[in-house]
Amino acid sequence: MSERTPVTVLTGFLGAGKTTLMNRVLTEQHGQRIAVIENEFGEVGIDHELVINAEEEIFEMNNGCICCTVRGDLIRILGSLMKRRDQFDRILIETTGMADPGPVVQTFFVDDDMKERLVVDAVVTLVDAKHVWLHLDNSDEVKEQIAFADVILLNKCDLVPVGELDKLEARIKSMNGMAKVHRTVNAQVPLEAVLEVGGFNLDHAMEVDPKFLEPEYPFEWGGIFEVPDGGVTFAATEAPDPSMKLVLIPVEKADDENLADAREKALRLFSHEAAEAQPGSALAADGRLYELILPGGDMAWPVSAAAGTYAVFTEHYPEELNLELTGAAGTIPSPIAAAYKPDHEHDEEVSSVGIEEAGDCDGEKLNRWISKLLQEKGTDIFRMKGVFSVKGDPNRTIFQGVHMLLDSQDGGPWGERPRKNSLVFIGRDLDREALNASFRKCLV
Amino acid sequence: MFGSKKAAIRDEADLSMKSAATLMPQQWTARLDDHCLDLRWSSDGAMLAAMPSLGDIVIFSPTGETLATLPGHARGNGSIAWHPSGKQLLTYGQDTEIRIYEASFIAPPRVKALEKAWAERAEWNSNGTHLAAVLGKTVVVLDAENLGVVRRIPEQRSTICDLSWNPREPKEFATVCDGGVRLWKHGRDEPTGHFDWGGASLISTWSPDGRWVVTGDQTPSVHLYDVRSKDPLHIQGYESKVKALAWQAKSEWLATGGGRMITIWPCTGKRGPRGSTPLQLTGHIGDAVALDFGPGGELLASGGRDGMVLLWMPHKTDVPAMISLQNGEITRVRWAPAAGHLAVGTGSGDIILFSLQS
Repeated sequence: MSERTPVTVLTGFLGAGKTTLMNRVLTEQHGQRIAVIENEFGEVGIDHELVINAEEEIFEMNNGCICCTVRGDLIRILGSLMKRRDQFDRILIETTGMADPGPVVQTFFVDDDMKERLVVDAVVTLVDAKHVWLHLDNSDEVKEQIAFADVILLNKCDLVPVGELDKLEARIKSMNGMAKVHRTVNAQVPLEAVLEVGGFNLDHAMEVDPKFLEPEYPFEWGGIFEVPDGGVTFAATEAPDPSMKLVLIPVEKADDENLADAREKALRLFSHEAAEAQPGSALAADGRLYELILPGGDMAWPVSAAAGTYAVFTEHYPEELNLELTGAAGTIPSPIAAAYKPDHEHDEEVSSVGIEEAGDCDGEKLNRWISKLLQEKGTDIFRMKGVFSVKGDPNRTIFQGVHMLLDSQDGGPWGERPRKNSLVFIGRDLDREALNASFRKCLV
Repeated sequence: MFGSKKAAIRDEADLSMKSAATLMPQQWTARLDDHCLDLRWSSDGAMLAAMPSLGDIVIFSPTGETLATLPGHARGNGSIAWHPSGKQLLTYGQDTEIRIYEASFIAPPRVKALEKAWAERAEWNSNGTHLAAVLGKTVVVLDAENLGVVRRIPEQRSTICDLSWNPREPKEFATVCDGGVRLWKHGRDEPTGHFDWGGASLISTWSPDGRWVVTGDQTPSVHLYDVRSKDPLHIQGYESKVKALAWQAKSEWLATGGGRMITIWPCTGKRGPRGSTPLQLTGHIGDAVALDFGPGGELLASGGRDGMVLLWMPHKTDVPAMISLQNGEITRVRWAPAAGHLAVGTGSGDIILFSLQS
């Protein structure tokens, strides 16, 4: 197969900034010849580029299978484009705000001619950080655009407080743990971050975001403070919720290792019953779980703690409450801090499930498992990728898929690396426990 | 792996080409600006129009002289079509201009500019009184004399992929768009025939006797619609999308290509291909994407993405003669109406003419 031309699919709800990014691609000096297919009537020939207008036309197949649904307009336009001697380095497809990325991507998996000459490099989704909350819960299109993405640009970040952005990013990552998220203003991001992604390259299927495989926590934030002599106080001015849980744990010193140890303790402590703490009541720094009552206004909780080093874990991001630890010298910074994937931020419909299991799979069981899974859940699985370790095979098996369409290849020898299986599924109504349990049955 | 197989076949092909070269030697070659989209002989065989995807449209004589060079359409060429009399040539493209040239190519063309939309297909009707052009989701029918718009069909749900006139009924044409085929007649606002199958069809052709409309579909299949009985026949089992359709002049045989195998269906009798066994021709090592029956109906030429031009006598033998082996894909093969000339177009824009020696 000759070298295929990469295709970038640009999605995003109305007003998210797709046109801004498109204009940057068309006007910046990137040295590539790019054919742009956009959904509005455009002029043709901007410098070295070619802009073609398209109107979304879905070709449904008479078997009714959504995986066979492709975009007729793209087949027609790209078919015509491929009949030109003067080939383009890259093709960029802008979809409408309401477009389902599925048929766009499937066009390049299903249609013989497209498959032979073109390859999807990435689905890039722009998200309006200010207004996406209005659509995130009730728009299937927005959910699917996020679920299909390899790259997500959290755009218009200048209009949203950092705490809100953290919350939004956590929510998006709970839906799609595979995508690379960039925070942008005016879609300003290095073009190579959106044009040379290799998201559908099977070699990249092995690059599972480790954070995505981390367990979930009942807290969003943890940090370590050096508490001086003379007493300290937690002060807050915002009350987004009626209450928030918090725990203080003594640690030896402010480093990542101590924070990780404290995190595991906090995980257990957050399952205990919390003591109510009205503003003004003292908080002990001994591992007791508190539920801070948040009536609003200026709120403060003195901390009963000797001078030393303490880890603090909070149910929400401190920025959401303007929560600070203050001492005689003013605000006390936290030299070590981390955000955690919260277990209360699940999207009920669209989520990511990561599976990581050491050891080998039985090849036959694995085939049966994946066939059954795709038959039963293929409609709900938007994207999947990963690596299998199959017993008796010295090489890695890497795979990548969209709905029921699966592509796999030999990923080269394991060598000295420990043999393990890493899989990611992004889809609707995925049952994490059931997926993990059923996959474990494939292990030898 | 594939390369070595191809190399081996090329060696064998070189041997068979020596005999094919005496059967049908190359007469001349020329070069277009870009990928050859179409080749059309005038009805008397005196001129060959060659259209690239971008750039000038060139008119050749059968001996290879350039008779005229016509400016291509901005944003890409779409169609060329000779008037049935052979005295005019129509060109159409993405600038949505219909241009009608007198075949002397001395005077500038008559031009009809249409509004902006997807614009690839335009054809004359069988007696040359009208021409039809696809314009996005509609078809515009023009009077050939004054280029006035005679009718415009109602906008369809999706862009019309193809259009073909009934060769026996100059007032009837078929359109292909999402869902299937519609038949349209002058004086009727609504389609007179509706063949929806729930999937997408991409290309179409009408049998020379006017009985069948056949489509190549997005799925690996073809549909044959018997216009008289309104009886649809869905033929599946192809290995890939059907990209080429060719009728034998007597409408007895329909050749279909798209994968490596060429399949020929008998279309005679009340049932047509239903229940029949097709001829299956294997010889290409890449997709066969160009097909044309010779005017006598016995010879079939095929061109493939493998660069091969093969000559078949499908009812006598399933062994082809290789006429040519090009480095790039073959995009068109077109027999002249007489004299045994075969014009071949390639993806790199080469035009090659072969002539039968006997």
